[in-house]
Amino acid sequence: MAARDARSLEAFYDRHNRIAFTLILRIVKVREDAEDVLTDVFWQVWQQAGRYDTSRGKPAAWLLTIARTRAIDALRSSGRRGTETELNTEIAPEAAERKEDPFVLAGIKQSVSKCLDALPETQRTALEMAYFDGMSHTEIAEALKQPLGTMKDRIRTGMMHLRKCLKPYEAAL
Amino acid sequence: MKHRQVTEELQERAILYAAGALDENERREYARHLNEDDCDVCRSEVLESEAAAQSLLMSLPVQTPSESVKKRLLAQAEALSNRPAPTPERKGSFFGLAGWLAAAALVVLLVVTFSSNSTLRSQVAALNSRVVELENQAGAQRTLLASLTSDRIINLAGQGTTPNARARIFWDENARRWRVYVSGLPQAASARSYQLWFVPKTGKPVSAQVFNTNPDGSAQMEIAVPSEVTALAAAAVTDEPAGGRPQPTGGFVLLGNTE
Repeated sequence: MAARDARSLEAFYDRHNRIAFTLILRIVKVREDAEDVLTDVFWQVWQQAGRYDTSRGKPAAWLLTIARTRAIDALRSSGRRGTETELNTEIAPEAAERKEDPFVLAGIKQSVSKCLDALPETQRTALEMAYFDGMSHTEIAEALKQPLGTMKDRIRTGMMHLRKCLKPYEAAL
Repeated sequence: MKHRQVTEELQERAILYAAGALDENERREYARHLNEDDCDVCRSEVLESEAAAQSLLMSLPVQTPSESVKKRLLAQAEALSNRPAPTPERKGSFFGLAGWLAAAALVVLLVVTFSSNSTLRSQVAALNSRVVELENQAGAQRTLLASLTSDRIINLAGQGTTPNARARIFWDENARRWRVYVSGLPQAASARSYQLWFVPKTGKPVSAQVFNTNPDGSAQMEIAVPSEVTALAAAAVTDEPAGGRPQPTGGFVLLGNTE
């Protein structure tokens, strides 16, 4: 990748396109927009591969961070923050979960799901509004009509729960 | 300032950053702290929290993009890979040119100082000519690479009667140039043209280029962004009478925001 070889890009894309697309589509909600963002994300990764620093996380995590940033930018520029209902109507029915998904192959999905299920709804909602909808703690507090301190506490407590619960699977994530 | 150990406050800030929950100014300041202060304590907290936040993805059904995304991406990459002088070689190429320039300058100096030999004069003229040629080539390569490696990309989506049309603009802000790639846009009707517009945040659109697509629906063009065009809000293509118009009169066929 760092040598900007097109075949490396293809291999990296084949390995990570679905997880990145899942994140991007969840954020921007419109399939065509999500595909444009996905293209931009892999292009950016390919262009900046030479600057990738292994001490700053795994390649997939780096990719997802870029994907989220680009998707949130696209969401903001479109001026639309959709709802879950919009998302469901945009997802193609054939786009079902695939057996070869790396998370499934790692055999950790069920355990991670348990961690997510154990997350109190209020904390999960706050985390998802921040992570998937690009809302700041101030905006979330206003939207949910809760004090800012309460909202920061929910995000912090929820994240600490996930960190602790996911610790055993750290290497696989 | 680098931190030596994690505190509850630092942990909360890292968590809010990783979750994407900081306000814009806070986020910018924290990103600066991570990058410029190179704070390992905070970075470690951020990485752990980012991994935890990314686990939220696992509650979602996995989605698959269409094959066209991969084709488009690889076509772009192949095009760039096949160009001469990718980044590492660009240095070599540049220094090679510098070597040429230095050699030529030395020859010129020697010739002017020590010789009036006509043979040498003709050699100097040939070298000077070669230097000019290499300078031109290097300039063109730098322009091309700068536009292809530009961080700013504007995606234009098909509108109205051309929903399948797409365009992508690589925007080299320093050189003030656009490199535009259009696909899926049928050729303009008889006595009609397509017209690309700079759409500023305030004021009227400015014509960028009048064009038509190839039979396969594609078009490529390189455009200088005029100095009076600043603070762009969007790029747009409209369907206009042949030769274009000073201001848009036809419907949008492609439209994309700059941010």
